[in-house]
Amino acid sequence: MPDSRAKTKATAKPAAKAKIGVYWAASCGGCDCALLEVNEQILDVAAAADILLWPCAADAKYSDLRGYKNGEIDLVLFNGAIRTEENREIAELIREKTKYLAAFGSCAHTGGVIGLANLSSREEIFSRVYGAEENWPQLEVSQNGETLHLPEFLTTLTPLDAVVDVDYYVPGCPPPAGVVSDLFSALVTGDLPPTGTVFASSKNLCDECPREREQLKITKILRPHEQEPDPDKCLLDQGFICMGPATRGGCGAVCPKANMPCTGCAGPTANIEDQGAAMLNTLASLVGTGEEGEDQLEAEDAILAQIDDIVGTFYRFSSATTLLKGRYHERNATR
Amino acid sequence: MSDTNGPFEPRIVAFLCRWCSYAGADLAGVSRMQYPPNVIPMRVNCSGRVDAEMVMKALEKGADGVLIGGCHPGDCHYVSGNYKTRRRVILLKRALSEIGIDPRRVHLEWISASEGGKFKETITSYVELIRQLGPSPIRLAQAEEASVEVPQEVSQGAVSDAG
Repeated sequence: MPDSRAKTKATAKPAAKAKIGVYWAASCGGCDCALLEVNEQILDVAAAADILLWPCAADAKYSDLRGYKNGEIDLVLFNGAIRTEENREIAELIREKTKYLAAFGSCAHTGGVIGLANLSSREEIFSRVYGAEENWPQLEVSQNGETLHLPEFLTTLTPLDAVVDVDYYVPGCPPPAGVVSDLFSALVTGDLPPTGTVFASSKNLCDECPREREQLKITKILRPHEQEPDPDKCLLDQGFICMGPATRGGCGAVCPKANMPCTGCAGPTANIEDQGAAMLNTLASLVGTGEEGEDQLEAEDAILAQIDDIVGTFYRFSSATTLLKGRYHERNATR
Repeated sequence: MSDTNGPFEPRIVAFLCRWCSYAGADLAGVSRMQYPPNVIPMRVNCSGRVDAEMVMKALEKGADGVLIGGCHPGDCHYVSGNYKTRRRVILLKRALSEIGIDPRRVHLEWISASEGGKFKETITSYVELIRQLGPSPIRLAQAEEASVEVPQEVSQGAVSDAG
């Protein structure tokens, strides 16, 4: 994570025409679309930089990538998590070939939604997706004298910085246009910030949310499909679980402005290590009947019981980077 | 509390509130009460100071159980810190349960400054419970990754499936 990394000024200005790349690992493709959300600015980027690698939009082979000199590419925006052996291998290769590597989007930054797969074993995932074991993908398939090799499915999914050093982090699912625009401006002017920079706010989302906070106690937990939220009041005040207090700002509170609670895609703020734990603390302090006392305990328990799926809600985008990684199988865990 | 020699000895981190539980521990000490030496006490100003992240960090760093001691309801020096911690522990236990960890590895107990005896009883019974549960699965997973052996031998009368 950026805080533990020595911050050095990125001095090497890109040459007359910068060489950049975009890569997707375990990703949905949304991050690639998000790059185009900057509209015409993409033309400035195309004028200022040669795009050497972009599997989603341009035809370049891994052999081309292997052919570049070490450090030849100036910047690679890497989206998607490390799910397969191929993801890891290409991440390592890209790290060799590029000066600056940016973890672009939630999956590369904190593991993203797909990090929740770490709560299930490889076998459970395969059974769910492919059904009977005979349908599971084989690492080697031979047909007509040709052999096809498939990359291995790793036992745990990790964010990018678990396998290689990362210079920049661009959070968000997908990163918002404003943030992408800042990154492109830095690239086009050749003025990249110190390594370790996170392209987002260092404060939490509430700092930029326009909703009015009344410091109410949460007496009832609501889910977005149960009731239309009041568009002007704090979502937490109304009982909707909004991840704002534990989430890094920088997106301009787009979800709360669209009357939806924040789901925490930008990951934890600079001062937090474990996003879910921070949200758990926040919510435990907010839940209550309005009075504190021994006679209120039963009522409090009833409110807490309305919170469903704690890990899936509080760690929706960060379960791959939580302090207590992965899934355990202790007897009596669910008693 | 060596990792490699002898049978499994639980490692327990106890966060004790300064006004009640830590004073209770002091009383147990000056009264020469005997209790197992498996607990690392951490004094905090209030049980409400115990962040969920602190508990998780203790588990991540190798604790087999985490005990939180606070003032009895109504007695909190800061009026309502212990109620906040109580709600936090309820959610935390559920989160642990969801990722497959026995929620009893986190335990909240009200111990007042005059309850040296209760402190002793709590430590004794909690150490025994954790001894029966065995080493924390987090510690085992980390040890496996680092190829270190953790003694797993559980004392006589190991916990049954019914717990």
